[in-house]
Amino acid sequence: MISCVDFIPAYNELFKYLHKIGGKQEVIKFWEYLSDNFMGTLGSLADRKGLAGCFEYWSHTLSEEAADAVMEVDEEEGFFKIDMRHCPSMGRLIREEHITPYEFYCEHCDTLYRRVLEPLGFSYEIDLSECDKAKCRILVRRSR
Amino acid sequence: MKTERKLKKRLRLSSDAEYLHKDFHGALCQAVKYLDDRYGKEHTCMYLKQFAEKYYSPLSARLKENGLQELERHWQRVFSLENGDFEQFYDNEKLVLKVNSCPAIAHLKKIGQFVTERFCQTTKVVNATICKNAGYNCSCHYERGKGRCIQTFWKE
Repeated sequence: MISCVDFIPAYNELFKYLHKIGGKQEVIKFWEYLSDNFMGTLGSLADRKGLAGCFEYWSHTLSEEAADAVMEVDEEEGFFKIDMRHCPSMGRLIREEHITPYEFYCEHCDTLYRRVLEPLGFSYEIDLSECDKAKCRILVRRSR
Repeated sequence: MKTERKLKKRLRLSSDAEYLHKDFHGALCQAVKYLDDRYGKEHTCMYLKQFAEKYYSPLSARLKENGLQELERHWQRVFSLENGDFEQFYDNEKLVLKVNSCPAIAHLKKIGQFVTERFCQTTKVVNATICKNAGYNCSCHYERGKGRCIQTFWKE
């Protein structure tokens, strides 16, 4: 069994493997597949509970992933946001000396979540400008 | 008239919490299915070998240097962390890992997530790669979908 604590390096190597087969487009196709087949919980919570559902989903996943982050939801103002101060995934890839992060690793968080949330009527913005330092920001708004 | 209460909440999460996100086993199942369906089983196998060679190279090196106790320590850490039902013992010069309930399969079944019937192949390929690079051999006999297996490791 590959332990779930070793999943991130396995995920990272999968991206590299797919990239070697057919470039970044092949990696994006996998992210789209994963979004369509693995993100049902986020889709269901966001659909039923709106921004509060987003808060519930990421409260669970980011707690289990031991993220250093601040999450905020304000239904009156119509937003949910994550200020990721130290991403457990990218942080792990940076920390491990014998592995290197896939060049576009952090972009999976753009494809995976955007593809779930936008069809449900949310806008989704992700700022990956500091992702090489394991930091990013996500902003979800009700768009209709 | 009843007005709906709007949620306004802020939550600070800490990296001091225990890192254990078992849902990742489901993402690995999806990855195996994707590779099998889109590129064929040979590619799934090649990917797993590439991952194991790269990521578990320190474990292979320790196995080569110090012997089976390194694998024993590794499995103890992994299966204890994930609350697996398992036991380890030595049979002559072989290390035997008996998994009575695989924590990955148990978790995915509990939450109703997809489990590919080829999930246990990840164990076979990854173990074989770790061992081969250290001059060891291994076997893994499992009952498909049951979450039970017997893994054996020995020096070549």
